[in-house]
Amino acid sequence: MPLKSSVEIADRISRKRAMAGVAGALVFLVAQGVRLLVESGSIAPRRTLLDMWAINAIVLYALLATGGGLLNRREIRALVNDDVSRLHYKSAAVAGFWVAMTVAMGMYLLPNSAALTARDAVFVVVSPSIIVAIVVFSCLELRAHRDG
Amino acid sequence: MAEGLKNRLREERARLSLTQAELADMVQVSRKTINTVENGVFIPSTVLALRLARALGTTVEKLFQLPK
Repeated sequence: MPLKSSVEIADRISRKRAMAGVAGALVFLVAQGVRLLVESGSIAPRRTLLDMWAINAIVLYALLATGGGLLNRREIRALVNDDVSRLHYKSAAVAGFWVAMTVAMGMYLLPNSAALTARDAVFVVVSPSIIVAIVVFSCLELRAHRDG
Repeated sequence: MAEGLKNRLREERARLSLTQAELADMVQVSRKTINTVENGVFIPSTVLALRLARALGTTVEKLFQLPK
């Protein structure tokens, strides 16, 4: 089997990362549903389920911030996170920022928002902004891979 | 942004019978960078434009043009 070039390896990793980003965002969405079920008392509250949200959020945030693939060679990482990916990261961060600002301002203006705890507020602001940022990044990356 | 720069990257690459991956390897960027430049989605930096022109044996002016 012929050895693959760095470009081919980076290409494969970059595609996988984009697909993993979409999958991660979906898992994160499901985790929000589980959390809401737990909090509404539909199923027995379990600490592990509640912690799932925080773990998911941290993993997605780390994926977005570092570009992932920390175990790969430096040369491969440079190719995976080249100019185009850095531009996509900036676009995703901007989209996430605007979602966070919009949700935060919306919460502030809602009459009952004062009753929310700080943890609830963090949950409401962080969840949609991370999902939007990851989905924007992944979609831009997948589009960049598309030929023609 | 994409309307701001026309390019002949695909034609020049075809002239030399290079694949996107081969050109990416020569310039040391990812294949998606070559793809997005060809499609006009991404405007390359000056350094990348110079490296692309050198790899394809042409000039930056021939490779990239402002729309008339």
